[in-house]
Amino acid sequence: MGDILTLADCKAGQVVSLKKVNDRQLTIQLYSMGCILGETIRVERIAPFGDPMIINIEDSFISLRRDDAKKMEISNI
Amino acid sequence: MEAELLNHNKPFEIKDKLRLVLVGNPNSGKSTLFNALTGLNQRIGNFPGVTVEKKIGQSKISDNLKAEVIDLPGTYSLSPRSEDEKVTFDYLNDSERTDLPELIVVVADASNLKRNLLLATQLIDSEQPTILVLNMMDVVQRNKQEINVELLEKELGIPVIPMNARLSKGVEELKEKITTYNYKKATKFIENHESKDALDNTIVRFDKIKKIIAKTLVSEGQSPIAKLTRKIDNVLTHSVWGFVIFLIILFLIFQAIFSWSAYPMDWIENGFLVFGNWLGDTLPQGVLNDLLVDGILAGLGGIVIFIPQIAMLFMFIAILEDSGYLSRVSYLTDTLLKRFGLNGRSIIPLLGGAACAVPAIMSARTISNKKERLLTIFVTPLISCSARIPVYTLLIALVIPADKQMAGFNLQGVVMMGLYLLGFAAALVTALAMKYWVKSTERSHFIMELPIYRMPRWRNVGFTILNKVKVFLFEAGKIIIAVSIVLWVLSSYGPGNEMAQVEQKYEAIKADPNKELSISEDQIASEKLEVSYAGHIGKFIEPAIRPLGFDWKIGIAVITSFAAREVFVGTMATLYSVGDAENTASIKEKMDRAVNPTTGEKVYTKATGYSLLVFYAFALQCMATVAIVVKETGGWKWPILQLIYMGALAYFSSLLVYSIFA
Repeated sequence: MGDILTLADCKAGQVVSLKKVNDRQLTIQLYSMGCILGETIRVERIAPFGDPMIINIEDSFISLRRDDAKKMEISNI
Repeated sequence: MEAELLNHNKPFEIKDKLRLVLVGNPNSGKSTLFNALTGLNQRIGNFPGVTVEKKIGQSKISDNLKAEVIDLPGTYSLSPRSEDEKVTFDYLNDSERTDLPELIVVVADASNLKRNLLLATQLIDSEQPTILVLNMMDVVQRNKQEINVELLEKELGIPVIPMNARLSKGVEELKEKITTYNYKKATKFIENHESKDALDNTIVRFDKIKKIIAKTLVSEGQSPIAKLTRKIDNVLTHSVWGFVIFLIILFLIFQAIFSWSAYPMDWIENGFLVFGNWLGDTLPQGVLNDLLVDGILAGLGGIVIFIPQIAMLFMFIAILEDSGYLSRVSYLTDTLLKRFGLNGRSIIPLLGGAACAVPAIMSARTISNKKERLLTIFVTPLISCSARIPVYTLLIALVIPADKQMAGFNLQGVVMMGLYLLGFAAALVTALAMKYWVKSTERSHFIMELPIYRMPRWRNVGFTILNKVKVFLFEAGKIIIAVSIVLWVLSSYGPGNEMAQVEQKYEAIKADPNKELSISEDQIASEKLEVSYAGHIGKFIEPAIRPLGFDWKIGIAVITSFAAREVFVGTMATLYSVGDAENTASIKEKMDRAVNPTTGEKVYTKATGYSLLVFYAFALQCMATVAIVVKETGGWKWPILQLIYMGALAYFSSLLVYSIFA
């Protein structure tokens, strides 16, 4: 399972694509904010100690905790 | 879950009045449109059964068409995830609203069309009459984007109005559209399949929205607005500088509040003195005169004077929120607050608590996790609110000389800041204890939009200040007048003929030519007060509060403060005014002069002052807060626990402080 990348593995400035969300409640929240599968995500910044982070999806800035980022599988573009 | 609204299929026919329901994503500029439509004809009410602020206003649409405008809490979709969003969902889903024809105005941030259209298309599919307002067209232009409004109208099947509510551009066009509005059933945006997973429906929706945007929106590369926000964020959310800047901003706000408000406060204080004297001289002497001047006016004056400070605090919070900065503070503080069982979103209630716990507790509704919300509600009243400002200011001025410095700063200001920090620390420690005590299995998220930085909309800031001050003045004013009257009666009359005996005693002394004639009116007044009903009550509880350094007069104030803290000042004003025939001295001067009749020592020593300050910092002396917590937590359990906990904290902390300084 080591080769599955999640958003929590990303560094600030990285641009990735959302592949899968492993939590239904989280999916609902992300979807309603325009963050759906296949969406391009830019990791804007990560707070000290890796938590929380700010991501950018089509010019909206959204904050996210590391616990939730771990559930979001991504792929590099 | 994509929840579906019921289809009411009400006949839609506008006569002379209709209702406009403003719906939209958070940060879409709904409130700006609301203010532009209603101006000063707005009021804050409550939704039945819940306490989310319901803003209702009246608007003139045309010469013969009026509208009632309702501003619903912001929501991203019709899948409520917080209490706030549930209010919007429930309102839209309530089929009982049949008194007026209703038009839904979806306010969308045009610079973020895809996400904003999700809610719009869900509303289209609810088959309620809907108009789409594309707000923030200025941002779209500055992003060098263009939206084909006509095509968008055709694709969605509903009227679309481009707008820049900040400059009131498009408001007339919206009104025009409303007067000529003719409801045609729009074709369903997507066919919802009951059997299908609701999430799939959202995906279908977004697919179609994307196609529409591809057709209607022309853009040239990356938006400069987002770039600017990114640049500002590099500084304001920096791992080190971000925190430093936040603390500096907080410090400057408090310094500003106390130095700027000094002048208007002086004017108000003098104004009340002059008016009180004039009223006292003009009205015929008697009970009514005493009641008006020494009771009601003294009590009211004690509170009106603090309006400059309260207005300024609300102004700063409104500016921070409107500029987009407050959400960055949430981001910065989430890790810290998480450790204490709270959430980055809790910082908004906690900061708001510095203004007033009541709206602050209501703003905790945006926290979707129930435990985090409960903890936030429980600890918010520990944050020093504006009602404590009068008490703090009075007591600090009384026990700390104005010219005393500490590390180059005015010591009075440092103590004030210290009281706020004390409240904040108590809030965090309490939350930490509760984190282990309250059990919950619900997961916690911190998914929050950080809006782009903008200049605050000064009109919105103005309306916020106006509304908050109005609520504060009228809600607090009502209680204060009532308490002032009761207090005046209790301190002007006494049981049996004790009052008369005191009077007779002094009459006799005065009449006796052998005695000295140096008896002051103050002495008689304080002796009369001692035998009044209020004096008896104060004396009754004195043994319990004696260890805290409080005398019976303070005891009366502590009791009356349970209505609301700021009553303390009014009570002091009333207690010390009764008998001050000339009514020339300010409350502070009167209290400063107060001496213990048996020992001859000053009543307000440093120890008593500090002890009283700490007591007021911690005790939950606010009926309005208790009432709001009952509503927000749906029962009496938490408010009662809160009352007992904060009361015990106040008592024992005061005991400690008094024994240190005495």
